[in-house]
Amino acid sequence: MILLEAHNVIIQQTLTEKFVKAGSVDVKFVDYDGVRFRISTPEKKTKLLLSMHIRCWDELLNYGALEVLQREYGARLQATPEPDYNVSIEIDLESIPESQEERDAFIMSAALFKRNALAAPFELAFKEFKDLEAAESGKGNFMEVHYRDEEAIYIQASPDRVTVIFSTVFSDETDRIFGKVFLQEFVDARRLPAIQNAPQVLYSNREPPLEIRHVPGLRNSEDMGYVTFVLFPRHFSNPSVSAATISHIQLFRDYLHYHIKCSKAYMHSRMRHRVAEFQKVLNRARPEVAQTERKTISGKTMVSR
Amino acid sequence: MSNALRPYLATVRATLTAALTLENFSSQVVERHNKPEVEAAKSLEVLLNPLVISRNENERVLIESSVNSVRLSIKIKQADEIERILCHKFTRFMMQRAESFVVLRRKPVAGYDISFLITNTHTETMLKHKVVDFIIEFMKEVDREISEMKLSLNARARVVAESYLTAVRD
Amino acid sequence: MSQLSPIICDNGTGFSKIGFAGNSDPSFVFPTAIATRGPAAQQSRAPAVPSKPGHLASKRGVEDLDFFIGDEALANAKTPGYGVHYPIRHGMIDNWDYMERYWEQTIFKYLRAEPEDHYFLLTEPPLNAPENREQTAEIFFESFNIKGLYIAVQAVLALAASWTSNRVTDRTLTGTVIDSGDGVTHVIPCAEGYVIGSAIKHIPIAGRDISQFVLNLMRERGEMASVPPEDQLRVAGKVKEQYSYVCQDIVREFRKYDQEPYKYFERYEGEHSVTGRKYGVDVGYERFLAPEIFFNPEIYSSDFLTPLSDTVDDVIQQSPIDVRRGLYKNIVLSGGSTMFQHFGNRLKRDLKVIVDRRLDASALASGSTQKSSGVEVDVISHKHQRYAVWFGGSLLASLPEFYQSCHTKAQYDEIGPSICRRYQIFGTAL
Repeated sequence: MILLEAHNVIIQQTLTEKFVKAGSVDVKFVDYDGVRFRISTPEKKTKLLLSMHIRCWDELLNYGALEVLQREYGARLQATPEPDYNVSIEIDLESIPESQEERDAFIMSAALFKRNALAAPFELAFKEFKDLEAAESGKGNFMEVHYRDEEAIYIQASPDRVTVIFSTVFSDETDRIFGKVFLQEFVDARRLPAIQNAPQVLYSNREPPLEIRHVPGLRNSEDMGYVTFVLFPRHFSNPSVSAATISHIQLFRDYLHYHIKCSKAYMHSRMRHRVAEFQKVLNRARPEVAQTERKTISGKTMVSR
Repeated sequence: MSNALRPYLATVRATLTAALTLENFSSQVVERHNKPEVEAAKSLEVLLNPLVISRNENERVLIESSVNSVRLSIKIKQADEIERILCHKFTRFMMQRAESFVVLRRKPVAGYDISFLITNTHTETMLKHKVVDFIIEFMKEVDREISEMKLSLNARARVVAESYLTAVRD
Repeated sequence: MSQLSPIICDNGTGFSKIGFAGNSDPSFVFPTAIATRGPAAQQSRAPAVPSKPGHLASKRGVEDLDFFIGDEALANAKTPGYGVHYPIRHGMIDNWDYMERYWEQTIFKYLRAEPEDHYFLLTEPPLNAPENREQTAEIFFESFNIKGLYIAVQAVLALAASWTSNRVTDRTLTGTVIDSGDGVTHVIPCAEGYVIGSAIKHIPIAGRDISQFVLNLMRERGEMASVPPEDQLRVAGKVKEQYSYVCQDIVREFRKYDQEPYKYFERYEGEHSVTGRKYGVDVGYERFLAPEIFFNPEIYSSDFLTPLSDTVDDVIQQSPIDVRRGLYKNIVLSGGSTMFQHFGNRLKRDLKVIVDRRLDASALASGSTQKSSGVEVDVISHKHQRYAVWFGGSLLASLPEFYQSCHTKAQYDEIGPSICRRYQIFGTAL
């Protein structure tokens, strides 16, 4: 699997099972970036409660997360979330759509719960872009989303583009060096004619890029990396293209770290193969010990155990 | 590559074959003990002069011998950061499995990347010229492996970047 | 960031049970199988080489990411170009490359967890070599950069799972674990959380054999005529799971069935997977005969003749004398094949007969002067038997001492993989 999927497999699986046969459930699980989920049946078996806890919920609220979630889930969105969680939606098994395709579509939209919440600042930026494009000047809101402990996404709209900056931390030196190789390729990939329409990517190692220099508290150390994506209008003018762009951009940091880990695993398998080859060469150094059968004078054989 | 490599490896092979004349020698310091003298380094008269064979300042081989053991340390060529990390991972991986490679030392000598320890028991149970073959083979292969790993890493990075940007573009 | 729950990963020979601590059931249960490009019989140890261009994942450079695990692997087994491999054999990891990739996809695709944020609890079979633990630790700490790792013995986790049974009053890690899965049944004695390796016994009767026995019985009666041959073993398995139970006395059961067939015979309805044609089979004596092979193996085959209760008794008698009472008192069941109704009661009854007989014989031999105070025999069944090992892991990882007993990445970086050879036992109320 090269690309990460946007939907949560556990939500999809649990809901599919429960739609077929209702039963009580209480399971806690996670998603990327420290998001915690819980599906439970607090009142009765036919009412499922899906709750989510995101670290940056307060920031998302500012950027209109509630409106986005309202649009997606309608009345199912609960006014007060479950305690210890930020937002909940209630799924009543008695009021789900009848046909299989509509049910699958609904399950998929529930599985995209985290993606939808995190889409709010992006959608806001795209809306601001339209206003700025008409006005042909000015700069949009500078939005910060601290979705992980030490990493954040910064989004800003301009009259002719939308800039998304990721700050990411590489905890391990190996990760850092692998990360540099990968990010260099991201920057260079635009040379290929096939992806000339892709967003422009810029990368810097310690120094934060100009656009976010003014943000307080930025760490200036070797293990920080800053990746800038420049999105052009063609990436979000069409609603379906825009939705796909948001889904992919959100998962960028996870995608990068996933591939760094896969490369380390691949290196391991290469090394194992190489070590096995060396072992074979070394074993040639051991002379073959001839197994001679030894007999005594009276004909009895020695058996060595 | 092989222009400078061949005389380098030939020198190492010749020196190692000469150094691998080992015989059993009990410890002079602790009674009834038999240690590899190059490791114990307590009695100076049984140690021979260490020898460094270097191809350039980045690639060296240090051969320290004694009456019953030889320690060979290799510094592998690491041109840039990526090669340094890959070399470090690879040697660490090998040293983790040192028990199955009887002649490998679990920790490299200071200043070098990997060390081998060959004692008289090894030369008695194994064919000497084959052990030397193994070391030379290792030196050839390790350089090749590291450059192959670097190439495959670059290829992966390219594919990863392309896949992501293609997906975002659509 | 608030503490994210540890991930519990129980990789067995047949199935892997994966989930998060604190839950009562694993989130995923799928076969430990991986389907990679290349024929199944390929034994080459070199990393995969692309054979067919055009497919996204076959692009030069990332061929190793072109694989499926679990149910998807078996589904793709028929696709040309993919071969299915089983990296775990007899409980131990055979092929590290495949296992590393298996874990990679489990973590990133199914669990969707960032390994840098989590602690992991893995399981291992008893008598696992310490080098395997080192290799596992190497993969998890170096490739995945996890926060901390704890590798637990499966039998000890099964004992921990038994603490939820309401018959257990104190949380003890001393007991005999009967772990019966699909391939083989193990009887494992544990004292204070440490497995007594020399006393472990394996019984070659397990789920697969019981299904085969059900199939044989039904074939003899002519029931399987309407079932398509490729589905027969699967139907036998379903019948075993849905209708079987353990009886107290075979002769009485036979009589009951003969007297009132309509009360005891059941009907299983199935559907042909390809044509959709429906068929039905009657289920009769196999309901109680199938699990009976645990207690009377001679009815199935003459290869193995020792009943389960005898084996358990042998195991406990071979253990050190001072733990024997604890082992008799706490016999814990785990695994899918122990889920038959009344399995625990029957085993307890048979074992008590053996134990009492021995006590009487020794009382007689001492001239009736010394009489034992009796040995208590108890078999613990609980709701979570099917995935008892996983559940035990979930319980233990929810305890606060878990985080101290794990080996952390910092320790690994400083000292090296050798620290992962030993793991501390924790969790008992001291």
